[in-house]
Amino acid sequence: MPADKVIVTNVSALKAKYGKTYPRVQAAISRLVVADRKRGLTTRLLALDSAADMRSVKGVAVSEGLDQRQVKAAIDAVHTALQPEYLMILGAPDVVPMQELSNPMRGDGDDVVPSDLPYACAAPHGRNPRGFLGPTRVVGRLPDLLGKGDAGYLVRLLSTAARYRSRARSDYQEYFGISAEKWKGSTGLSLTKLFGASAAMETIPPKGPKWRDAELERRLHFINCHGGASDPDFYGEPARREAFPTAHSAKLLKRKIANGTVIAAECCYGAELYDPSDSGGQAGICSTYLYDGAYGFFGSTTIAYGPSEGNGQADLICQYFIEAVLGGASLGRAALEARQRFAAAYTHLDPADLKTMAQFYLLGDPSVHPVGAVSHALARTKAFSAAFKGAKSSPGTRALRRERLVRTGTNLQQTLGAVERARRNEPAAVKRLLAAAARESGLQEIARESYAVEFPKGVQKGELKIFEKARRSRSVHVLLGERAKGKGKARAVTALIATVQDGELVHLRRVHQR
Amino acid sequence: MEYAGIVQRRRLSTGSKSEHEGLVLVTSSAEYALRRQGGNPFWDEELAPLEGKRIECDGLLRGHQLIMTRWKVIEG
Repeated sequence: MPADKVIVTNVSALKAKYGKTYPRVQAAISRLVVADRKRGLTTRLLALDSAADMRSVKGVAVSEGLDQRQVKAAIDAVHTALQPEYLMILGAPDVVPMQELSNPMRGDGDDVVPSDLPYACAAPHGRNPRGFLGPTRVVGRLPDLLGKGDAGYLVRLLSTAARYRSRARSDYQEYFGISAEKWKGSTGLSLTKLFGASAAMETIPPKGPKWRDAELERRLHFINCHGGASDPDFYGEPARREAFPTAHSAKLLKRKIANGTVIAAECCYGAELYDPSDSGGQAGICSTYLYDGAYGFFGSTTIAYGPSEGNGQADLICQYFIEAVLGGASLGRAALEARQRFAAAYTHLDPADLKTMAQFYLLGDPSVHPVGAVSHALARTKAFSAAFKGAKSSPGTRALRRERLVRTGTNLQQTLGAVERARRNEPAAVKRLLAAAARESGLQEIARESYAVEFPKGVQKGELKIFEKARRSRSVHVLLGERAKGKGKARAVTALIATVQDGELVHLRRVHQR
Repeated sequence: MEYAGIVQRRRLSTGSKSEHEGLVLVTSSAEYALRRQGGNPFWDEELAPLEGKRIECDGLLRGHQLIMTRWKVIEG
């Protein structure tokens, strides 16, 4: 039986977690399936641990629920057989695990990068994020609380998805935008790109964490603050000294969020799903938003990156997500387009770009369209209505969009390069230049790392052949340095990133800490 | 779990959006970013006096991070 939307989960893990209250969860899933049907979507629930379900898609049932290789293979089998337009992972990572990818920014404090990106890619299981540069699938995760079998929580999230309704774009035009004061230039630029102005942006300090109801009730939240692991708060930072006042607090969000809110959070660990018992029982900000009626939360599982001025990494991928949502995309398509646009913006991904691709993901039902599409005038004609049985848009449009997204993802997978750690040293001239640039920037060297740039095999086709030799000889060299502590100045780490081809420096950039 | 070691100050999450000065617990086998359950994960004034001291503590280990639920200074 074909399906427009597939919900994948591990039913035995859910039953073990919820015990006697599992039937409440089961009933809520059924209500979502019925609600989807009324919206014209055929939705199927597939239990990754069920031999019968997995046989029906020519796959193998997951015998070890947290075995990432098994789960990836099972989800791939489901997607290959049913080719759904939306794939919804149901449950926190203790129900359906995330794929733990190796961290391209080794040494930053994250051992691995828990990621849902591999589920959006056709590439087989692997730990190297470089294997997942071509996402093609519309995927989102509707999580429950990690560790805790709180049926009320999951039922509420399923009900929000079942009852969702699209709204006019104008309902999302007024935003709640907050930023660490130190990053207000970067955040202001993001908000201006998205909304045409950033006058409504608030910075921490001096504001936060007690936001007015009228501010929290806005349906679009854009957050550029600090975040910590297993922590229910986000933090600001003054422009000229190192301090981290609370900016946004999960405990202050309860019953303050409007139904349908969509959030993009650039914060480190902004969308980390942690066990609430780690923080004395308080669930994280992302979990709290969803419980309060938010439709979707786009954020990072781990430490995130971005420049101090202008936009990069976390700024861009969050902007792309919000832009797609405002344009009428489903949450899942917005997440996919954000990943694709982010990847497509580069000739190759450096370590910070690669981590950004892996760490940002969608929490929420991927089929939800927060902003309703505006139909063309033709759709109001009798001929159109007769041809498509009264539908406001042609039913084939979504399939055509999916084809475009698969083409874009496939192109990325086949052509995009990314760094791979290498033992080689930088050429002597580059070494001298980095040292000179570090001196001029007032930097004291902390570390150096060199990378080769690897491209997929067979990529040199058509006019790309022109770049074959240059690509083969391309390497990236990073110098991490720390600014000397001056009177009244905070310490700051800066990365100098040199791109070298044929032994010659072709690009040099300086990225400041955030 | 119980841990023991010396508290030292370090630059953490270097190069990231959230790079900061923080405290770590240096044990005989590993080094953990140190924080207090319910405390500010970036800088916690309540923990600041522990710098340079040997402590023993109970806590939850999450990656490289040790979330302390109890601690005691055993050598100042």
